[in-house]
This record gives sequence, C-alpha cells and structure tokens, in this order.
Amino acid sequence: MKADLLIEKNEKSLKELLFNSSDFKFSDFEIGNRSYRLFYLETMIESIKVQEHIIRPLLTNVNGTIREAVSILDYCETDQLSDATKALVEGKTVVQINGEAKFYLLGTELVKERSINIPMNERVLRGSHEALNENINTNLNMMRKLIETPDLVIKFYQVGRRSNTKVAILYLNSLVNEVVLAEFERRVANIDIDYIEAPNFLQELIEKKHFTLFPKILVTERPDRINSYLMDGKIAILTDGSPDCLILPVSFWAFFQSPDDYQIGWLIGSAIRFLRILAFILAFSLPGIYVALVTFDPRILPFEIALTLQSSMQYIALPPVLEAIAMLVILEILREATVRLPSPIAQTIGVVGGIVIGTVVVQANLISNMMVIVVALTGIASFNIPSYEMSSAARLLTYPFILMASMFGLIGLEISFLLLLTHLSRLDTMGIPYFYSWYSGETIKDTLFRFPIRSLKKRPFESMAKESTRIKTPRG
Amino acid sequence: MIHLKKISLNQLICLVILTQVGVSVLEIPYAESRHAGYDSWMSILIGGLLAQIVIFIIYQLSKRYPDQSLQQYIFSILGKPLGWLVNLLFALYCAESSLMVVISYADVLNRWVLFQTPFFVILGITLVVATYIASSTLRSISTITQSILNMFLICFVIIFISGMGKGDWRHFLPIGTHGIGAIIKDSLPAFWAYAGYELLLYVFPFVKCKKKKHIFIAMSIANGFTTLFYLLITIIVTYNFSESQLNTITEPMVYILRKFRWPVVQSLDILFMTIWLSVTTVTVFVYMFLSARYLAFVGKKEIRNHPLLVWIIGILCFSVGIWFSDRQSIFKFSEYHNKATMIMIALVPTIILLISYVREKVARE
Repeated sequence: MKADLLIEKNEKSLKELLFNSSDFKFSDFEIGNRSYRLFYLETMIESIKVQEHIIRPLLTNVNGTIREAVSILDYCETDQLSDATKALVEGKTVVQINGEAKFYLLGTELVKERSINIPMNERVLRGSHEALNENINTNLNMMRKLIETPDLVIKFYQVGRRSNTKVAILYLNSLVNEVVLAEFERRVANIDIDYIEAPNFLQELIEKKHFTLFPKILVTERPDRINSYLMDGKIAILTDGSPDCLILPVSFWAFFQSPDDYQIGWLIGSAIRFLRILAFILAFSLPGIYVALVTFDPRILPFEIALTLQSSMQYIALPPVLEAIAMLVILEILREATVRLPSPIAQTIGVVGGIVIGTVVVQANLISNMMVIVVALTGIASFNIPSYEMSSAARLLTYPFILMASMFGLIGLEISFLLLLTHLSRLDTMGIPYFYSWYSGETIKDTLFRFPIRSLKKRPFESMAKESTRIKTPRG
Repeated sequence: MIHLKKISLNQLICLVILTQVGVSVLEIPYAESRHAGYDSWMSILIGGLLAQIVIFIIYQLSKRYPDQSLQQYIFSILGKPLGWLVNLLFALYCAESSLMVVISYADVLNRWVLFQTPFFVILGITLVVATYIASSTLRSISTITQSILNMFLICFVIIFISGMGKGDWRHFLPIGTHGIGAIIKDSLPAFWAYAGYELLLYVFPFVKCKKKKHIFIAMSIANGFTTLFYLLITIIVTYNFSESQLNTITEPMVYILRKFRWPVVQSLDILFMTIWLSVTTVTVFVYMFLSARYLAFVGKKEIRNHPLLVWIIGILCFSVGIWFSDRQSIFKFSEYHNKATMIMIALVPTIILLISYVREKVARE
C-alpha cells in the first residue's frame, strides 16, 4: 500500500498494519506553514534522541528539507506503508509532512541503560543468557528484538484501581487462538482489585477457581523461552515491575520442558526429559512405595533385601509412616531455612542439616538409615523439576501418598495414583484440557521424549494455534 | 470458552480395550476349558469373532443415527414408553456390570493381597475412585483411560515374561480332539469376557473422525487386540498347565505369576494384581458412567446433573456390594450376569436394528 497525502489516512492504515498495537503513538507540530507528524512506537524510541536530533533541528531549520535538518544517521525515505510499519516495529520514528505522500524513517531506538542479568532461576548450559528485568519497556524491547515482525501484537492493560500497574499482553496475531485470547482478555479486563503484585496476583486472578496444587500458568524469566512459546501461538503476560512472565495456555508437560532440551542432541535431550519426569514421579511416590513395601508387602522384595531392611529397622521405635513424615518435615525445614539466608550461612545450615542431623539421627536409632536414603533421594528428585511450582506440588503430594500407603499398602498407592490422574485430567486452562496422555497423537513428540526438531511438525495441541503446522519442508 | 467434547480414535481404542479386559484375565481360560479342555484357545478365538459380529451390528445401528446416542434415537425407533424401558434396562445392566467387576476384583484382592482388610473397605475405596472418575466428562475419562493403558502395557510385559518359564508345548497336542461342538459351546463364556464394546452405542456421536468407517476400523483394532491378548494368556496357561491341572485351578494366571522367580521382585503376582487394579477400575468407571448416562434419559426430560447420578449409582453399588462378601454368592451373581450380558449386548441391539430396518421399509412403502 502506498502512503497517502493526508496524515490522518496514513495514521489509520498504519494502525491497521500494527493491529492497533497500544504502543503506536504520534505527535504533531507546526513550523512555518508546514505541519509535521511523528509516528513512533512509544516503547521503542528514545525520546531525548527525538527531541534533540529531530524536533529541535526542525524548529531551527525552518525552510530546509528534513534530510538537511535532522542530525540522525539512520535515515531513509519511502512511500510504502509496509516499510513504514516495519521501521516503526524496529524502533524508528516516522515523520510525515502533511500533503506529502512520503515517509521519513529516522532511527531513534531506545538504548538500554540498565544491565541485563543472567537468569537466576532458570539457568541453562546452552542458549541465551539473558533474563527479563523489572522495566516493562526494556522487556518489551527485548521481545520485539527477538521477534521483529508486525505480527507480534502488544496490548496494554492497566490493572489495579489505585496502582494502575501496566500489564502487557503479547501474542502473534497470525497464530493465537482468538477464542482463548478473547476469554483471556475478558478475564484481565474484569480484574477489579486495588493493586497487584506480579506474577502471582495475576495468576490467581486469571485462573478459574480450582482446588488444585498444580500450577496452570507457566512462569519464566527467559526471553528466549517466551519467544518459543509465542511462536507456538500462546499468550505471554508481562507486568511492570516484575522480572517474571506468565505464559498460557500451557499443559502439564510444559513444566518439564527446559530450553536445554532443544539445545543438545535429541537423544540426550529425550533422556534428560525422561529423567525429569521420572524424578517427578519419584518425588511424590518414593516414600510411599518404601512405606508400603516395608509395612504391607515385604513379600514382594527378594529375601536378602528384606533381611537388610529388617536389620536396619531393628532398633527403631517409630513406625515407618511416622519416620517418613518426620524426615520429610525435617528436610522441608532445612530447605526453607536455606532458601532465604545469605549463601555463607546457608552453607553452614547445609552442613548442620545434612551431616549432623543425617548421621546422628541414624546413630541415635531414631530413624533407620534406609529411610534417610529414601528421603534424601526424594528431596533431590524434587529439585530436578525445572518449575519451582511443580516441584513444590510434588513435595506436598508426598504426604497423602504416604498416608494411603500406610493404610492400604501398594493398593493404596495405586488408588492415590489414580486419583491424582483423575484430578489432573479434570483440570483445564481457559477451557483447554490441562493434561493429556503422553502418547496421544502428535503430542507424543514433545512430552515424555523430545523428538528431532525436523519431526516436530505440529505446534502443541493445547495452544490451539490458528496454523498448527510448524515445519513444512524440513530440509528443503 | 473452548470446551472439547469429542474424543479421538486413539482414545476410543484405549477405552474399548480397557473396558473389555478386566477381572477375567486372571480366570481365563478356566471357564472356557470346561468342555474344550486344552483346545480352549480356539474357543477364545471364536468368542472374539462373535464379539466382532456384535460390533458390526452395533456399528450398523449407530451409523443410522450418526449424531445421536442410543439413549436419544431409541425413542424414534421404539417410541416413548418402550424407549424408557430400554434405557432403564441398559442403566441397570451397566450398573450391574460395574458392580460385578468391582466385587469380583475386591474378592480377588481380599484373597491374594489384602487378607486382613475387611471386604467392604476394599470395595469402598475402589468404588470411591471409580465413582469419582465416572463423574467426570467423557473427555476426561478418555484421558484417564489413555494414561492407564501404560499400566496395562506393564502388566502385558509381566504376563509375557512370566509365562515363558518352564512348560510343555505338548499340552496343546493333539489339536482339536474335543470336537467342534465342545469348542463352540465354550466360545460362549469367552464371548462374555469380551463385553465392553457396547459402549459404542453411547460414544459413537462423540468420536472425532474423518469417515464413520474409521470408527469401525478402530473398534475392530481394539477388539482384535483384546482377542490377541486373551489368546496369549490362554496359550501361556495351556503351555504351563496340563488339562487335568486346568480343571482344578480357577485362577491359573495368578499361579503362573507366583511361580515365576525374578531377582528384583519375589512375588510378581502381588505387583501384578496391584497394577491390574487400575485396569479393572477402567471397566468399573466406564460402566458407571454409561449407567448414569442411560439413567439420565429415563425420565421425561434429560437429567443434566451427571455427577449426582453417578454418586447415587456408586452408593447403590456399594450398598448392594457389601452383601457379596462370600464367594458362592459371587458365582451365582456372575451366572446371572452372563445371561444378562448375552441379552443386553447381543440380542437387544440386533432387535433394535431389525426394528429400525422394518420401520424404514414400512415408511418407504
């Protein structure tokens, strides 16, 4: 499309091309008999640059052309609206003189002054080492930098009656499912609270009331991860003042994916993914299995192992259930203590907790040494899960499993496992099922295992993207 | 809001397989070898074929009303009062089936795994789980079933490994000496063991597929898989036990599992029966779900509160089930149940299909 002579018409078509992105702004001024209009994306420009190098020179050089007046290196002219849109997305200021069907594209990108740190909670070995910071504009800038297309839509909402916190919703217009988006926007618009603290306030306010331990919205601080989810057709939510991004709709399996899986060979990636899910299952069931085997069905174990267990439990007064619960609670206390303390003290606690309590408790015949092994394994397994929310869920699930195991043995475990499965299957996010079996249809490729990139042809099922094909000709 | 109601063909296959297999796995081929002896594997095969014929009948019937379940189109075939009656009968039959499975397995657990736990407690916890699952939507149920298929595959592997122990292939010889009559006679109890595919009567309109024919193919795959599974068990059992041994052992699979020594797990039978609980639970909750769906159409209006109906059925099952704590009454009940199965899943759909053909012809003339 070509540029129009009139500013207003251009403004309208530019808005359309940017899908009414909220950060699309303009400003007018008149010098002599010419009236200028500056179009720009608010989040992408540095205003001092605009004032010092565009507006001020224009004001002083009344009769010259724009090329003569402005002192900006990145300059070009066009009469195409699409070029202007692209320039806007890149952070340029677009100037038009009323009555001239021409755009002047001037580079005024915002230069980030605040340093961007390495991710604290989601470290990876390979891949990008950037993390979000607290400035929403910097974050949006990072996202726009990763996805340089007008297809990326950013919409602003003000949430919080008193705080007016800026919340940005990001999605790819050509991929996102409109029904999900509409439902989500309705929920965000309906939030009526005086202030919000990201990310959890939003998370709890958006979700429907469900009695569940499991996180249904993914929290991440990595722009590359947000990027990959946006490319799947999901919605990302950034909040001003928070370095965490919420992503929805996600499935249960997303909580076991890590960017690392895609950065190493698919066989190793699959092995690690499988290990993580195994760790998740161990994290909530291992103490239960131990209790069931020891109290109910020692017949299952081979005779020699049963003897070893017997000898380790000989002088212990507590029944295995209480042993397990006591040790798990001690582990939780230690964990909670070390999380908030500065690292030198945390190390001391680690020594006191791990060595002193671990060995002395066994020597004093309070807890059997087999139980210490089981609980330590459980604890470590729970830290294998990439999502903190998911690993907390697993740790809390342990207790009902132990209780059921102590009442009905392995049958009790089986029943609690079924109940857990049922609970998961009944959950939904925005009406989309939260859990699906690892091998159902196309999803088999990215759940329990990570198939080669070239075979990941479809986007994940739960994002319900408008276009589900990701790869058309892998090697073409 | 997006609400997905349809299930995929993959899920249909899982549902059918896991509804078909249940407690009977432990007893196969005891009932099937009463007349046919070591030729019972042929009876199992013929039973599978019979099941396939019934699947074809049910498919033909459902295809005539592709957007409705039996509960709804029954009224346009039989009219109001008879339609209600059929719905009520199906509701009773399904509730009774789930009760049958749940008490049989509670009995198995009580005898082999949890000796000291009272019967009603085992019955109670299995029923609570099954009822909780049955009160979900069809989609959730399919998802759960799909996940339980993993457990089924573990059991499959356990059976396969443990069956390959010491045995004698000569147990099969000479093939076919019991005569074709005996084999066909025994294919009837085999046919009862295949029950479960009648869920197609309800599920048909909810399956997402490009062609209706694919549903039939999926059903056949599922039934074929079950047939192979039963056949495998029969072969393993016959390989391990001779005919005279078979006559005294009612649950041969348990003995084979118990006999097998594995360095990591000493008694495989307990492990197997524990994991197998989830597979039998599928049969229980699918029937309970179906029962509630049939019951919903018994009144003048459809009753929309599905969870309430399921919990009522669950409580009913529990209060009836606690009277079946001794084995003899279970045997009597199962005899009655087998007859009911014959009538409800083979005869009734055939009759309905014939009536609908006749009605159509009459209407055309």
